[in-house]
Amino acid sequence: MFVYIARMLLLSLTLGLAFSHTARADLDSGPLKIVASNYPLAYFAERIGGSRVKVTLPVPASEDPAFWKPDTAAIGQMQKADLIALNGAEYEKWLVRVSLPKLKQVDTSAGFKDRFIVIPNAVTHSHGPGGSHSHGGTAFTTWLDFAQAAQQAEALAQAMMRKRPEFKSSFAENLASLTADLKTLDSDAQRILGSHATEPLLASHPVYQYLAKRYGLQVESVHWEPGEMPSATEWEALQKLRAGHPAKIMLWEAEPSAEISAKLKSMGIRPVAFEPCANRPNSGDFLSMMKRNLDRLGHTP
Amino acid sequence: MTRHDLYLAWHYLRFHKTRSVILIACLSLIGSLPLSLHFLLDEGERQMTARAASTPLLVGAKGSSVDLTLSALYFSEATVPPVAMADADRVGETGWADALPVYSRFRVRGQPLVGVTLDYFDFRRLSPARGNMLALLGDCVLGSDAAEALGLEPGDTLLTTPENLFDLAGVYPLKLHVTGVLGKSHSPDEQAIFADLQTTWVIEGLGHGHTEQKPAARDGNQPFGQASVNLQADPKLLTYAEITPDNIDSFHFHGDPGSYPITAVIAVPHDRRAATLLKGRFLADDLKTQIVDPHAVTRSLLDSIFRIGALFDAVIILVGCATLLALGLVFSLSMRLRQRELQTIFLLGCSRLKVAQLVAAELVLLVIASGAVCWALLQGVERYGGPWVREFLIP
Amino acid sequence: MIAINRLHFQYPGAPFSLDIPEFHVASGEKLAIVGPSGAGKTTLLKLIAGILAPQHGTIHVDSTLLETLSDAARRAFRITRIGFVFQELELLEYLDVLDNILHTYRINPVLKLDAQVRERAAALAQDVGLGSKLKRMPRELSQGERQRVAVCRALLPKPALILADEATGNLDPANKVRILELLFRATEGSDTSLVAVTHDHELLPRFDRVVDFMGFHGAAA
Repeated sequence: MFVYIARMLLLSLTLGLAFSHTARADLDSGPLKIVASNYPLAYFAERIGGSRVKVTLPVPASEDPAFWKPDTAAIGQMQKADLIALNGAEYEKWLVRVSLPKLKQVDTSAGFKDRFIVIPNAVTHSHGPGGSHSHGGTAFTTWLDFAQAAQQAEALAQAMMRKRPEFKSSFAENLASLTADLKTLDSDAQRILGSHATEPLLASHPVYQYLAKRYGLQVESVHWEPGEMPSATEWEALQKLRAGHPAKIMLWEAEPSAEISAKLKSMGIRPVAFEPCANRPNSGDFLSMMKRNLDRLGHTP
Repeated sequence: MTRHDLYLAWHYLRFHKTRSVILIACLSLIGSLPLSLHFLLDEGERQMTARAASTPLLVGAKGSSVDLTLSALYFSEATVPPVAMADADRVGETGWADALPVYSRFRVRGQPLVGVTLDYFDFRRLSPARGNMLALLGDCVLGSDAAEALGLEPGDTLLTTPENLFDLAGVYPLKLHVTGVLGKSHSPDEQAIFADLQTTWVIEGLGHGHTEQKPAARDGNQPFGQASVNLQADPKLLTYAEITPDNIDSFHFHGDPGSYPITAVIAVPHDRRAATLLKGRFLADDLKTQIVDPHAVTRSLLDSIFRIGALFDAVIILVGCATLLALGLVFSLSMRLRQRELQTIFLLGCSRLKVAQLVAAELVLLVIASGAVCWALLQGVERYGGPWVREFLIP
Repeated sequence: MIAINRLHFQYPGAPFSLDIPEFHVASGEKLAIVGPSGAGKTTLLKLIAGILAPQHGTIHVDSTLLETLSDAARRAFRITRIGFVFQELELLEYLDVLDNILHTYRINPVLKLDAQVRERAAALAQDVGLGSKLKRMPRELSQGERQRVAVCRALLPKPALILADEATGNLDPANKVRILELLFRATEGSDTSLVAVTHDHELLPRFDRVVDFMGFHGAAA
């Protein structure tokens, strides 16, 4: 009788332990849910996490994440995430108007905030359906400096490891591979852009500050849209700009319209698309897009 | 004692209803009084320690550690000088602990308005029982008791009250949107109105939204920009008193967010070693802040409660003795009244022992009945004692 | 049924004493005892019941020598063999008529209270005209009705000897007769004896034998 009771006790104890164990396992199982505020971060998270993460980029494909603001559904999605990957450098201007768990946020650029580029004269202008916006304050396309991009990936990986220490080695391995790729990209950029170092360049939008700083480019920006023919005054302003800055190449966030291209070429300016890739590209990924950007610049005579 | 004894005792007690009721009332009071008081004391202790024990460390302004604990954990009206948001960041940046800033300066219609980050809800395991969690600037969620006290439900609005008329620098009435009501937590969180820290800073006057302004000075898309002029005082600006989807984008903050006020930082160390390091850091090199262990602070409060408890016990023992003596008297008097009846029983063929058994059966029934009443009283105390204790304990 | 020999009894510290050289009651006999107050009639009944013990002499009841019984055995004997109808044996105010009749069965484990006993109790009550008042409380009854309940209580254990002390006192003549009838009926067709102390001289002719208690002081009847 005693043996029987002891056995039953032991059995129930084992079952209880087994159940509590499964319950705990359930709690932490499933992929790590990461919401990224732009495509580069989403790409980094996917590379580092592999199948162990589920990465969401809540910004619609048609919008520039820099000027997007989350709706209630997106806020809910971020609140439920395990990790919210932020670019920082004032990229997420909506952050002060929404409630998100601070401990789940990872500001990937915090590590180099002393090297942020401050834009002294803020300019507000309006175009497209997004209404007016401003390019003031701090330059935020931090990832176009690929060394900085690697730092951002590193910061993200650290946060991911803190959330899921059990995958630390896998994350670290993937990060190493990503870092290596970014390093190659960086040295490619050094090599290709180095040849343009002394040459003045134009940019359709002021988004190439970190690219210019890292790779020694002389870039002057206007505020032109690839699909929107600039007005005569704007063309005049460009001419004036060229007087002191005789650029032969103009960087564009996307391939400009044939009309603009033709007019630029007639002025002796070659438009080159250098896509910042803030949102998910239709084909390829961050790495291939950046390679294509560099190739296009490389092939420019 | 046989069932017959109990049968006779039951009939006797039933026949002398008044006497029985008085006896039961006395016995139940004697039984339930110390138990209830101890329950209330234990409940007080539980509430205080549970809250304190679940709050590992607290960083706040130097001064009374009791006031700091009471205002950060129990949202009491005790005023403690604020510390800066940078102190919360400092805790987080050590890498030893998670920092949960709490700003409990305001009260709205008697309920504490507490500014927190969303992590606070995860930390306290709070989630909306009705409605949704905070999402936007200007949202608030209510603790269950606060919702009841204010008579508000998700979808309603709640106007914050200005502290005083001459506070030109800020604290203007803001219409908060109730997005949700939190589930029961049996903690001071039930009393509170929670908003995002940033919302409380808007109430504080540190951030605001207003109508058109000269573009050059516009900081609309520059949160935490350089401007330090408080635009609130400009009479030409119409400041929004409600944050709506239409005007939310005009809301912005001035000055360094690191300098914004908070009441305290709940620091959740990652392990014991981290806790020690953190304590060392704040004890060693800080003049303006202190780090306190809420558990230790509440223990000192509890010591006084225990002294009250001991006093209660002494009084109850005295009262109990007096009551038992009185009950003994009542019993012996009733024995005398029953002399003829007992004589009858004796003559019919009962031993003296039987008489004792009958009396014992009566006592057993009285004790059982008193026990039941006592139990019912204690159930009541357990059910309604918690909130009462909370009000009593936390100023 | 009763055999008393050379009995001497004295209350401790009291001048009163009772001496009975010899006293017999036959089985089935209905005996009345008369005599002035303070003569020791009630004391005799208590001695016979074993409630009091004599200093000298022997008392046999139903062939049992009382002094040989232990206290417990004497109580058991009393409760099973002797039916009391004493004036000082009150009804219990907090029990109804039926429970009062059954009371003896509840206070002594020697008697087993079962369905048969309950039926007999109800039948007895019916017999004495209280069939419809089983659930009444004593305070709702008249003096005569209360006395009838007391008789039922005494008769329920089917005693071999009924001791009645002033069982008909304080009753109106009709009730006196009724109670006496009840007691007589209990002795009929059985060996049950009745010893009744009474002041109601008009009832004496109905007894088999009458003993004048004056005669016990120093001499046998």
